[in-house]
Amino acid sequence: MAIAPARALSAKVGSGFPQDMRRARPLLGTFVEICVSGSARSDVDDAVDAAFADVARVHRLMSFHEADSDVGRVNRDGYDAAVAVDPWTFQVLEAAIDLNRRSEGLFDVGVAPALQRLGLLPGVPDDPREPIGGGAHDAIELLPGRRVRLRHRGVRIDLGGIAKGFAVDRAVEVLNDRGVAGGIVNAGGDLAAFGSLPHVVDIRDPRDPRHALCRLRLRNAALASSGGRFDPLASAAVGPAAIVDPRSHARVCAIIGASVVAPSCMLADALTKVVMLAGEHATPLLQHWQAEALFVPASGDVRVTPHWQDSVDLAA
Amino acid sequence: MTGWLRWTAPAAAIAIASPAHAVQYLSIAQAQKLAFPSATGFAEMQAGRAWKAQSGGQTIGLFVFDRVIGKHLYIDYSVAIGSDGRVRRVDILQYRESYGDEVKGASWLAQFVGKGSGSSLQVGSDIRNISGATLSSHHVTEGVKRILAAYGNRAR
Repeated sequence: MAIAPARALSAKVGSGFPQDMRRARPLLGTFVEICVSGSARSDVDDAVDAAFADVARVHRLMSFHEADSDVGRVNRDGYDAAVAVDPWTFQVLEAAIDLNRRSEGLFDVGVAPALQRLGLLPGVPDDPREPIGGGAHDAIELLPGRRVRLRHRGVRIDLGGIAKGFAVDRAVEVLNDRGVAGGIVNAGGDLAAFGSLPHVVDIRDPRDPRHALCRLRLRNAALASSGGRFDPLASAAVGPAAIVDPRSHARVCAIIGASVVAPSCMLADALTKVVMLAGEHATPLLQHWQAEALFVPASGDVRVTPHWQDSVDLAA
Repeated sequence: MTGWLRWTAPAAAIAIASPAHAVQYLSIAQAQKLAFPSATGFAEMQAGRAWKAQSGGQTIGLFVFDRVIGKHLYIDYSVAIGSDGRVRRVDILQYRESYGDEVKGASWLAQFVGKGSGSSLQVGSDIRNISGATLSSHHVTEGVKRILAAYGNRAR
C-alpha cells in the first residue's frame, strides 16, 4: 500500500484560489460543503448563506424521513387524492420519470418499499405484496397544477437518488446569480464546479477509502459517485451500496462503486445508479446526456468510458 | 461509441487520508459572528462550550460548541439556538479524517503544530474535494438533538 508524502501531494493541488472561503453544514444526510472565491467577503457570506438555504429547502421538501415533506405527503396521501407539491419537487419528479423511461426502469424513485424491506429506509412497506412492476413512469402520475398522484396503493417514492444532485445545482445557481466568480458545491461527494478555473477532485476508492482511485479536473461540470456509505467516525470500511435493482429488488453487488461526470449534478447523481446496475450497458443513456462514467466491479478491472480520461489527471 | 476502457490505477495511488484530511472552516469567534450578526457580545456560560449571544443587554440566543469524535474522524461543530428555543443554524467548524496508526506518527501530529483555533490550515494546499462513498452526518445530527435537549430552554 503506497502512501504518498503529504508535501508532494499538496504541491499538486489547489493551484486556483488564494482567497477561497469554505463552509460546511450537515444537510441531506451528509456534509454539504461550499467553497467559493472571487468576490468581496461580505457579498460571499450572503451568497453562501442563500445557497445553504436552498439546499436546506430541498432537504425539507424531498426528505423521505419527514412526514410533512412533499415526499412524505405524497407517500401518505397520494393514492387517495392528488397532492400539490412545490415546483422544485415537481421538477425533480419530472426528471425522475423521464430517467425511468429512458433507462428502461433501471432508475426508479419508486423503489422505496424495496429499500424498506431491506432496512435501507425506515419503516415497513404499507403493502406487504411486492409492488406491481412498470416503474415510476407508470406508477406516478404528474397532473396539471403541480399535483402528484400514485396509481397503486403500494407505491412509495424516495428521491434519495436524485435530490442531492438537484440541491447542488440549486446552490450553484444561487451562487452564479449572486455574482460569485467560481467555486464548488459538494454534497457528500455529489458535487459541481462552476467558474472559469478548474477544480481538482479526488474520487475515493470504494475498495479502500483511504486512497483515491483517480483525480479529476472539473470545470463547469458535475461529478457524482455511488457506492457505500462511509462513516469514518465508526470504521475505515465503506458499507455496501444502498441501491436495489428495481427489476429484482435485490441489492446491487456486481459493481461496488460508480462515478459520473455530467452537465448537471442532478443527472450525474441519477446516472450513477444506472451505471451501478447496468455497468457497460449504460452507454446509450450516458451518451444521451453527454456524460462520462467510471465503475468499479466487485472483481476485475475498473472500467471507464472512452472520454473519461480527457478530464482525468493521472495520479502517479 | 467505442467500448469501455480498462482503467489501470496508477502505481502510486493517491492517499486521501494520509497523513490526514483536515479542513478548518471557521473559528469559534467567526461562527459566533455568522450565527448572530447583530450580537454585541458573547457571554461564556460554560468554558469553551456555551455562550449567550447578547445585544443591548438582552440575550438573543445561545451558541454551543461541540465535537463528535470517532476512530477515524473528528468533527467540531456549533449550534446556534435562537431565543425561541429553535436551532438557527449548524456550522461545521473543523473536520479531521485520519486512520489509526497514522495518528501516532510524528508527521501526522506535526501538521497541527501551531494550528490553534485561531489559525487555519492553508486552504487549497492542504485540502481536497473528495467524491466517493457518501459520508454520513448522522453523528452530528444526533449531537444537535442532544444540544437542543440540553440547552434549548436556556436560550430565552
